Amino acid sequence: MSADDESFHPLGEEWENDLEGMLDDTEYDTDLGMAMAEDAMRVTRGELSEADFHEKYHDDVLEEFGEDNRPTQEAYEKAQEEAKGTVGRMLSRFDGDGEEPRRDVMKKMGAGAAAVGLGAWATVDDGEQQAAAAQDDEDESGAPEGGEGDFQWGMAIDLERCDGCLSCVTACSSENNLDQGVNWMYVLEFEDPGASSTTSRNRMVRPCQHCTDAPCEKVCPTTARHTRDSDGLVLTDYDVCIGCRYCQVACPYGVNYFQWDEPDISTDEIAEFHEDHEGDHMTTDDGYGSERWVDSRAPRGVMSKCTMCPTRQDGQMGDEMIGTTACQEACPPDAIQFGNMHDETSDPQTYAANPARGRTLAQINPPSADELEEDLEGADDDLESVLEAAELDEEELALMIAVQITGGDEMGEGDGNVAELENDVTEALAAIEDHGLGLASQEVLAELDLADEPDLEEPADGDEEGVDVDDEDDEEENGDDDEDEDDDNGFEPDEEAAQFLLEQFAGTPASNFKLLEEQGTNPNIIYLGNEPGPQAEQIEPTGTGVNYEDISYERADGESVEAVDNRKDVLDEGTVGDAGVSL
Amino acid sequence: MSTKSPTEADILRPIQNVSKLYFIMFALAGLALGGFLVAWGYQLYQGLVVTGLSDWGSGGGVTWGLYIGAFIWWVGIAHGGIILSAAVRLLGMERYMPVARLAELLTLAGLSAAGFYILVHMGRPDRMVTSVLGHYHITVNNSPLVWDVTVITAYFVLTATYLALTIRYDVTRLRDQLPDRFDPIYDGLTLGYSEKEDQIIDRMVWWVALAIIIMAPLLLHGGVIPWLFAVLPNYPGWFGAVQGPQFLTIALTSAISGVILLSAAFRRAYDWDHIITDDIFRGLLLWLGFFCMLFLWLQLQQLTAGSFHPTIDHGEATASKFTHPLYIIPIGGVLGVLGFIFATTIRPALFTKLRAMVASVIVLTATLAEKLYFVLSGFWYPSFSIYEATPGDYFPSAIELSSLLGTIGLVVLFFLVVAKVIPVVELHAIEHLRGDHGHGHEHEHEPVEESTKQPEVEA
Repeated sequence: MSADDESFHPLGEEWENDLEGMLDDTEYDTDLGMAMAEDAMRVTRGELSEADFHEKYHDDVLEEFGEDNRPTQEAYEKAQEEAKGTVGRMLSRFDGDGEEPRRDVMKKMGAGAAAVGLGAWATVDDGEQQAAAAQDDEDESGAPEGGEGDFQWGMAIDLERCDGCLSCVTACSSENNLDQGVNWMYVLEFEDPGASSTTSRNRMVRPCQHCTDAPCEKVCPTTARHTRDSDGLVLTDYDVCIGCRYCQVACPYGVNYFQWDEPDISTDEIAEFHEDHEGDHMTTDDGYGSERWVDSRAPRGVMSKCTMCPTRQDGQMGDEMIGTTACQEACPPDAIQFGNMHDETSDPQTYAANPARGRTLAQINPPSADELEEDLEGADDDLESVLEAAELDEEELALMIAVQITGGDEMGEGDGNVAELENDVTEALAAIEDHGLGLASQEVLAELDLADEPDLEEPADGDEEGVDVDDEDDEEENGDDDEDEDDDNGFEPDEEAAQFLLEQFAGTPASNFKLLEEQGTNPNIIYLGNEPGPQAEQIEPTGTGVNYEDISYERADGESVEAVDNRKDVLDEGTVGDAGVSL
Repeated sequence: MSTKSPTEADILRPIQNVSKLYFIMFALAGLALGGFLVAWGYQLYQGLVVTGLSDWGSGGGVTWGLYIGAFIWWVGIAHGGIILSAAVRLLGMERYMPVARLAELLTLAGLSAAGFYILVHMGRPDRMVTSVLGHYHITVNNSPLVWDVTVITAYFVLTATYLALTIRYDVTRLRDQLPDRFDPIYDGLTLGYSEKEDQIIDRMVWWVALAIIIMAPLLLHGGVIPWLFAVLPNYPGWFGAVQGPQFLTIALTSAISGVILLSAAFRRAYDWDHIITDDIFRGLLLWLGFFCMLFLWLQLQQLTAGSFHPTIDHGEATASKFTHPLYIIPIGGVLGVLGFIFATTIRPALFTKLRAMVASVIVLTATLAEKLYFVLSGFWYPSFSIYEATPGDYFPSAIELSSLLGTIGLVVLFFLVVAKVIPVVELHAIEHLRGDHGHGHEHEHEPVEESTKQPEVEA
């Protein structure tokens, strides 16, 4: 940085040495990495053109990594057009088939070269990126862009499905052996004088939002609060945290809980409780081969908060628990959907994309294919007989078909609960079809209000309000589909009618929202329901369906603890000279 | 005003004499600090549960309280002290030369108290070194708390250097009268001293003073300390650009008040009426008035912007200021002091040293209360204010309150000890008061010519 510093990097010699060390740790050529980095700096200073840089290293890169898809002279102009010098795109040029995730490529190149060289590169077009890229070492989240291959655990929480039973609160406290009043998961009801009208109960279910741009992580003076590269979980390294509580101050959601005194349950008790599991439910791999203590209750003097159960996600409780959290698992009405927010077919994304359908799936309980086969044996194959034999009512069948119709190509894709339920529906419907009832036929669908009567031909009138689905919304607006209209085999089911049916059955949420999005935190929880306005205020008693005072949870030592909604009541017992007054 | 001529004997008096009062004060200050150390020990043993703090949000409390409020307060006093001293050296405000070193020492003492508060506030102070330094190269890019620690450390070093440089001149010349038992200290302080260095030291001190006067407003109380709060958008009472200037004015008011009290105490204890003259107190009081005015002016800016047509969260945060005693009383106190100081400029007869001291006590109390309110109100009125059933109840616990006494005790002890080892009024000040202007001015621009004009050292 200073004039007498021999380093080429703007962050100075020490930084450069650090990076060189990082390069040494990789299996790739350190000298090449550093040389490339130095020349990358020259590019930023305009002493070397981007094209020349690529020319110069093409052979070396090919030899070292076995692939180099960076533009050579002929591709240069085109590339210049589209790749405005961003780090990600630069990196992608080193990528063979375009499928390899960015992070892997970075590792391949050597983190040093990536950070030194391409961090500098970013300054050519965008000075702001330099600092970001230069810091892009082990503590940075790997998933800010939401690109392919990125992974980010998150939730969709249906506030209108939540019945306020607080099962999630107790399940979380129990799983993590939390002290009384430490409600990593918090459920409250609020009144909102500012809201125009409310169609549903004002309820908030508040775990940690596991923000992509977590302010708590940004302010942490130790990197104890960190985002796990592998899955975007925002965690606290209990062995590093110094307990300054700045994360709690910076978090706009108020989700942090400091461990003010010695926790009630010892680590031995926790480890013992999880004896049958693979790990101890406390430490887990950070994705770089070292174990970090990030799960279960915090030790004294450090910060804790909802973790979204990393030890579950890492398979410590068995493969079947991957992709689940304690709260989600415990929720009776399935109001919590947990999954990969970067995957359109994940539970939270599927649910949030079409909440009525998600709610329906959670509520209908399709009979298994085997059951159906058994029940249908010997029954006729007309609709009435099938329903009677299968002990289904018309609505149930219609809902199952509606789920299938609205599912489109992605029906049953993904690996979450939603996909599982979708498969159940598919199998059940297939069993019925196998029996001989043509569920795709216009007659049957019309009987179930999912299509028009086959012989009626009414012109499309474009009334999309669609109150009388079967009468009016008979045609797709899209002209392409019209060709198939008269052909019974190519009959297209009425998706709008199906959607309408689902919405009639399960309702649509007042809104889809993320909490305090304006703060730029990029939270990874999507809420469905009433968004609390700036005047929203929690009402007492805090419990919603159930009061906190009325519930309890069990911990590893077998003791039952009464839940408390206001932790201050518990902590006051330890205050020296508690005057019982407040400023 | 005294007609006595200041002598070396005057500034040596604290070192050469010791009184019963000194021991009483020493005992009291020691008791205050010792009492708090015991309390802190208990806190370390039990955890921070012994405080009145809790988690903000659904935890129903505030997570930062008196410890952080008092931390800012001490840092403010410290930073203002060094600015005052730097102004003396840089801007040639020679009138205040007799209290310059007291101000420097106040900076070291204040920073020590503030640093102590950082440790006291931590859940795991034992990890300060391993966790903070170990990740410094990463966190310094992000965390305002790390900026803070960095700048405070830099300032401590800068101030200590400043003091160490200026003290060589004094100690060398007064060495014969200084107690032998501290010889190793004096040897260390004057290591390698030669008279030739005086000019160089003067220039170095000038540059250090320049660095301080530039960096203090930009980086310290006008920078990293307010940025701890001002960069967080979820607290309307904290967020915004005004906090830098606001903090700086508060720092300067409290620092000048601190210097007034210290000066009065030393003047009384060692009969320094002819060194720390009434004129100095009048001058300091005027400066206090000026900074009180800025303090209130910036508060007014916040009240106006937060009341006219604010966002809902900002409006709530501001509305509280019109009703909360922890805000109204300190602001009223500062307003009263400003009124008094204004009145003394119209009727100089209204000035007395005692009134100046009372004004200082009021300002110091007011700034501490305002700091506490400032910290707490952030948690009381966050943007996400949904947690109404679990409001931020807080009252400092006995241990937190004892930390105030403890740190005041620490600062008093610091002065009691330092005053026995080094002259707290610099030799230059005495020379200056006597009219020996041979040293110390215009040194920056014409240093060489003056090299022969060394002042004599009187026995």
